[in-house]
Amino acid sequence: MTTWVDACATDDIDDEDLIAWHHGGHRYAIYKTDKGFFATDLMCTHEEESLEEGLVMDCIIECPLHGGRFDIRTGEALSAPVSIDLKTYPVKVEGGRVFVALG
Amino acid sequence: MPDVVPTNAASSGVKLDKKSLKAIAARSDRPGLVYLVQWSLGLLVTGAAVWWSVGTLWMWPAMLVHGILLSVPSYAMSHETAHGTAFRTRRLNEAVLWITSLIYMEEPLHRRYSHTNHHTHTWHVGKDSQMPFDTPMGFGGWIAEITGFALLRFHLSVFFNLAIKRYTPTMRAVAPESELPKMTRNARLMLAIYAAILAAPFFGIWWPVWLLVVPRILGAPVMLLFTLIQHVELQENAPSILESTRSFRGSPITNFLYMNMNNHVEHHLYPQVPFHGLPALSDAVRDQLPEPDPGFFRTNWEVLVVSLRRSMGLSTRAPSIRQAPHMISDGGPVRRIAERTM
Ligand code: FES
Repeated sequence: MTTWVDACATDDIDDEDLIAWHHGGHRYAIYKTDKGFFATDLMCTHEEESLEEGLVMDCIIECPLHGGRFDIRTGEALSAPVSIDLKTYPVKVEGGRVFVALG
Repeated sequence: MPDVVPTNAASSGVKLDKKSLKAIAARSDRPGLVYLVQWSLGLLVTGAAVWWSVGTLWMWPAMLVHGILLSVPSYAMSHETAHGTAFRTRRLNEAVLWITSLIYMEEPLHRRYSHTNHHTHTWHVGKDSQMPFDTPMGFGGWIAEITGFALLRFHLSVFFNLAIKRYTPTMRAVAPESELPKMTRNARLMLAIYAAILAAPFFGIWWPVWLLVVPRILGAPVMLLFTLIQHVELQENAPSILESTRSFRGSPITNFLYMNMNNHVEHHLYPQVPFHGLPALSDAVRDQLPEPDPGFFRTNWEVLVVSLRRSMGLSTRAPSIRQAPHMISDGGPVRRIAERTM
């Protein structure tokens, strides 16, 4: 069953940026883009690197270690050296809060 | 716990607030395009000097200058595009990676993947696939490195192995399986281009020899003097980039040729920062880093003297460059720490 979990306030995240969110022993990335809010796993699929200090450009997140890029909306691995997609999670915004669907 | 801890700012205890980092790492096509225009204009001028001096003694200094301008920026730009940071537009980045890797003479995806490994395991023995010489370095190692023949032999073996689909354990370790066929295709195409260049004189066409082949051979040692001092004499197997990597003071000429990579510690700490952001990054983290070593010439001179003295069994303390403690000895036999991996 899907559970919507309150993750952060909409203005906790700068425009074109992300924050790391820890919940239930797992690490997530929550993004604010000009296309809305999105959530993915926080760790890159190439090596053990957090995307927290990565650059958000439009709807792309670039890994800070080797520059692999993912589509934030779909998690698709877009460019080398990443080749495995990033897991994504549905997001909704209500009353100035960002909720992530888990489970 | 992750089984790999990448060597970067986190492993080195260096901190920079996210807002500043984001501003410094911002991407743009403009600085890279401006660089390409300046570089191309420079090559036009030095190429013209070679063209007009062929047949005179002046052709040799002209080819040296042209070769430095061909070799050092092609190394620097292929490195920057391998990181994907030279341009905001990915296609532009990849096209420039291909062309500059052709000049630098390494298959572009091999360049990218072996370099990702170098960043994850910077100067870690048996893990870093880009350790170009044995450590500690002696005079023989210096000669093999600086003439360019050791690197050329390595890059040619990579080309031939890729071309015949003989993928080495290192290639398989650093590159995803799905990329290997692309690497083979690139290697075959590049080898065909090199073969055409080498065959041209047999058809009476000599300009590739004077404008590409000889300048590239003459320029290689200068390019390798830049890369040599990135890690030489520093600490192997250190989690901290501050111990394994060297920055040196730049000048307008070296900063241009090397695309600000004299800030090499800063680059390894935050590899997502593009070449045009490195001076600002250096300012932002200066108080957390060791002093940069002296300029290009002084640093290289001290490295050469130390290598020579080490081979002669003499003491190896350099006057001013940073050295790992085990690199400094009063003389005597040298205990090898790392064997070259390229
Ligand atoms: S760890 Fe993310 S691209 Fe390599």
